[in-house]
Amino acid sequence: MQQRRILDEFTINRELLRGNLATPKWWLPTVLGLLVVVLFGFTLMGIMFNRGLGVTGLSRPVYWGLFITTFVFWVGISHAGIMISAILRLTQAEWRRPVTRAAELLTVFSLLTALFFPLIHAGRPWRIFYWITPYDFARGIFPNARSPLVWDPFAIGTYLTGSTLFLYVALLPDLGVLRDRTTGWKRAFYTVASLGWRGNPRQWRLQTVAGILLSALMLPIFVSVHSIVSWDFAVTPAVEGWHSTVFAPYFVVGAVHSGVSAVVTMMALMRWLWGWDNYIRPEHFDALARLLIVVACAWLALTFAELIFGVYSLEAPERALREMQMFEWPWNLLFIIFFLTGFAIPVPLWFFKRVRNNIAMMFWTSILVNIGMWLERFLIIVPGLSRKQPFVFTWDSYQVSPLEWGLLLWSFAWVMMLMLLFSKFFPLIPLFETKESQVFTTDVQIGRVTMPAVIRELD
Amino acid sequence: MATSSLITDAPDDRPSNIESTALLAGEGRTAAGTGLKRFMWLLAALSVIGFVGIVFRFINDDGRQDWGFYAATLAWMLTIFGGAPMVAIAPALAKADWVRPVARIASLGAIVTAIIALLMIPLLFKFPALTEFSEVLGDDVRRRSIWFDSPSYAPHFWNVLILLTLALVGIAMAYVMAIPDFAAIRDHGTGWKQRWGKKLARGFYGRPQQWEWLKMRIGITGALYFAMLLYTNFTFSLDFAVSLVPGWKDSLFPFYHTISTFQAGIAFTIIGVWAARRWGGMNKYVGHEEMWSLGKFMLATTLLWFYFFYSSFIVFWYGRSESDSATIKLLVSGPYIYLFWAVFFLVFIIPWWIMIWNKVRDSVWGPPIAAFIILFGLFLDRIRIYVSSWSAVPDDLELATTSILQEMPDTMWPDVFDVFIMVGLPALGLLSILLVTRLVPLVSLWEVQQSRLITKPVRFLRSHVKLVGKPD
Amino acid sequence: MAASNSVLGLYDTPDAGANAMDGLKSAGFELGTFDVLTGTPYPEGAFGEYVPQHRLFRFPFFGAMVGLTLAILFTAGTQLAYPVVTGGKPILAVFAMLIIAYELTMLGAVIATVVGIIFESRLPNLNLGAYDTRITEGYIGIVVECEDDRLEEARGVLQTAGALEIKTA
Repeated sequence: MQQRRILDEFTINRELLRGNLATPKWWLPTVLGLLVVVLFGFTLMGIMFNRGLGVTGLSRPVYWGLFITTFVFWVGISHAGIMISAILRLTQAEWRRPVTRAAELLTVFSLLTALFFPLIHAGRPWRIFYWITPYDFARGIFPNARSPLVWDPFAIGTYLTGSTLFLYVALLPDLGVLRDRTTGWKRAFYTVASLGWRGNPRQWRLQTVAGILLSALMLPIFVSVHSIVSWDFAVTPAVEGWHSTVFAPYFVVGAVHSGVSAVVTMMALMRWLWGWDNYIRPEHFDALARLLIVVACAWLALTFAELIFGVYSLEAPERALREMQMFEWPWNLLFIIFFLTGFAIPVPLWFFKRVRNNIAMMFWTSILVNIGMWLERFLIIVPGLSRKQPFVFTWDSYQVSPLEWGLLLWSFAWVMMLMLLFSKFFPLIPLFETKESQVFTTDVQIGRVTMPAVIRELD
Repeated sequence: MATSSLITDAPDDRPSNIESTALLAGEGRTAAGTGLKRFMWLLAALSVIGFVGIVFRFINDDGRQDWGFYAATLAWMLTIFGGAPMVAIAPALAKADWVRPVARIASLGAIVTAIIALLMIPLLFKFPALTEFSEVLGDDVRRRSIWFDSPSYAPHFWNVLILLTLALVGIAMAYVMAIPDFAAIRDHGTGWKQRWGKKLARGFYGRPQQWEWLKMRIGITGALYFAMLLYTNFTFSLDFAVSLVPGWKDSLFPFYHTISTFQAGIAFTIIGVWAARRWGGMNKYVGHEEMWSLGKFMLATTLLWFYFFYSSFIVFWYGRSESDSATIKLLVSGPYIYLFWAVFFLVFIIPWWIMIWNKVRDSVWGPPIAAFIILFGLFLDRIRIYVSSWSAVPDDLELATTSILQEMPDTMWPDVFDVFIMVGLPALGLLSILLVTRLVPLVSLWEVQQSRLITKPVRFLRSHVKLVGKPD
Repeated sequence: MAASNSVLGLYDTPDAGANAMDGLKSAGFELGTFDVLTGTPYPEGAFGEYVPQHRLFRFPFFGAMVGLTLAILFTAGTQLAYPVVTGGKPILAVFAMLIIAYELTMLGAVIATVVGIIFESRLPNLNLGAYDTRITEGYIGIVVECEDDRLEEARGVLQTAGALEIKTA
């Protein structure tokens, strides 16, 4: 259902630059509060570097716990940006317009956050440099290009670089607007940042081509990144429940599920915090919810395949793991919560139009999804590791330490703080895309019915 | 300034409703030309040869391994004809306008799924039960499958049922999508077409309520077909390939099978569109825009084919357990290595290099070339998978007790009856579609007319653009 | 040699902007010497402007080749420099190298594309010439590059089309 508003460029500039040309009252206290949590998190990291990984719950055989779970979680969240930006741009979906920049931003900041976790989890992160770069300090060893742990930095680095550049290129027209609306040092900053953007047909044409070409390039990268992260687990036959070929698309689809849900959360917050009712409308949440239903059903099919094939081989260790994962305390409770929050509660609700168009309901269901998806990663990683050895005396439950919980909290505060800092200097909703939709959409009369219409350029 | 004030009308050279009705439903419809009749007789003859092949296969049969080519042919037909209706469903769900002229060609693939369901019956006689050796080994011993403790003939029963359900839903969807065209044939056709149009239109006169019901039925049958297609691919690929090879544990394989189904379905539709332009007089209805959109999806599914293949491969290659190595050897580097490389080039490398060029994608000749190559490549791929699976363990070994493939089978080559089957059965499928098109128009008349209603060429200031209405 | 000037006419409606473009064409100004500046993208050719050709599609190929070369050097170079067999895999494991090669190829393509976009957009160019900040408020700017001897003629054409303001740089 179309809920189009007719707005002129002056109004669009004034409303969407509200957070840039002036500072909302809630902004500074919120950023300061988040900064406190962020600094607390950095302090915890310092404690961990000083005292060693023993302050966490990590121990034989569970060497990958909350940190790696959270790493995979944030990489998953990062998949929203390209899904929404690239795929919807290529399919010319009009409803993507207010969402694209915030989604791309979420990609960049969640990737930056994700990168922290494998670094700090190494215990002495300054030594990681040797392991991923060919820098020989007479150790007689170079990075092992055959290892998925070395594939990871290349994949994530490529995705991060690509997303950042994509974000910047799409930001150029809006930087031009900010240059024209500011004075003093801000004007100087935006003049340099906008590279002299004028808005002639050449530049607009290249913006369109850039959007399509970069989308087409970023899509294969988007698919490969989380596949490579999944191969950290899937390629090894040593851990029960990991050596499964379905992990690559399973992780990618799960990432899209959690990422798009995170975008829904973010859009609801943007509408409430900045008062962007004209731009972020119930129809956008409706469209996102329909997309989420499709993605969630695909995710369910892949989850089903992963679980079925877990027991397909009928081998005792794998069956024992699955029984522990689904029926033994505390894993059974976590499994139930994971399934309820990740699929069983939100998805049936999204089938109802009233829920899809209710922003508060969409906000809370999207948060539920991300709780479920974090638990999904936890349930993949930890139970398999805790049963890794065949000797009973080495089986131990992994207890997440307060420090690890603190760093999980830090990661959320870090992402939110970075988003708010960005929002102070750059518009979260693309101005030129919003203005473009005003030009390219109209109403058309067919008989007695007036319906919305879009303009498509002829090839 | 509102956009509507900047828009003025532009000349519209699309076929009028009168012209399209005459061509697709009425007097303008030409009878089958001599060339088409000869082609259909040829297909009929090949179909008979196919049945001869099946009969002689039963007579000259040394075991399960001789039925691999039959299984591969059925799998290939399911891949192409089962996947084609997805081209009608998926873009329609996404409210894409470009799919309207091609939806009919795509949906006709569902007709053949009924034939595939029937053709599967001979195969079931050779398909081993789950407890094939229970007299020797005991009741508890059964080969690995997704049916776990189900009755011994569960895969036989469920595969037939699932395939029949797929056929039923597919035919229902194709029928429902054609109801308004049957009404047009009733009103403008002559002779037997007019009689059949009246029967099949079932009182459709285009009242608003009827259009609403039609949309709802198309939505429901479309969604059901999609779900059934996934389910069919899941069970067919696992039962008729994976579970026949000891040690082959591949959770991604059903999805690999499914994505190549989508790829083949798009390729089939592209070839259908090309044929409709070349011989069916549909030049004004389907052109480079439809080819371009279909071509983009075919490129995407081609890349996804490689992604799904590689995702399985890297897990086996890196893991290097005994079963991992055996699986790679059987399917990639062992008795079918040359076939594998042929598949790799025909299904991925060559189509990819054809389709990445904008000018080629945006033409009426480029996508069909890639589509033909892909379909041939997928045929070889199905041979690679199903022939190797059916010949992996000879009849006289205890399939249920081996958990890892110890010895590689020899390369199986098709004999003359296999060739009869591989040529005859797809010919039967194609023949059935061509027979249906004698009544059903190749291009969906009502969708073309709806497109004409909600889209129109206009002028925006000094440029020519297209205005596309969004009724939903 | 006569000095080159940049003249901007500011209009409050797209119609007036398109009329100004028509006027400049009729007055014999060459396509490519006058342009339209807008704060929002319009359909290509909406103002009857010169449709620019670009060679952006060459950049990703070049970047991809560079990325692929670096990837092969990195993976093959590091493995051959210190050949340590891990997990029974060959020293030069093509299937594993493929992943790093793929990522660096795509990275090269993306970086080169972005460089290409900026270059083909004729950026950076911090000297805006004749420009008005109201363009990003919805006004249409028609800018003409001309010699001194045609300056008054250009101003006249822009004024006739209903320019709210005319600026020279």
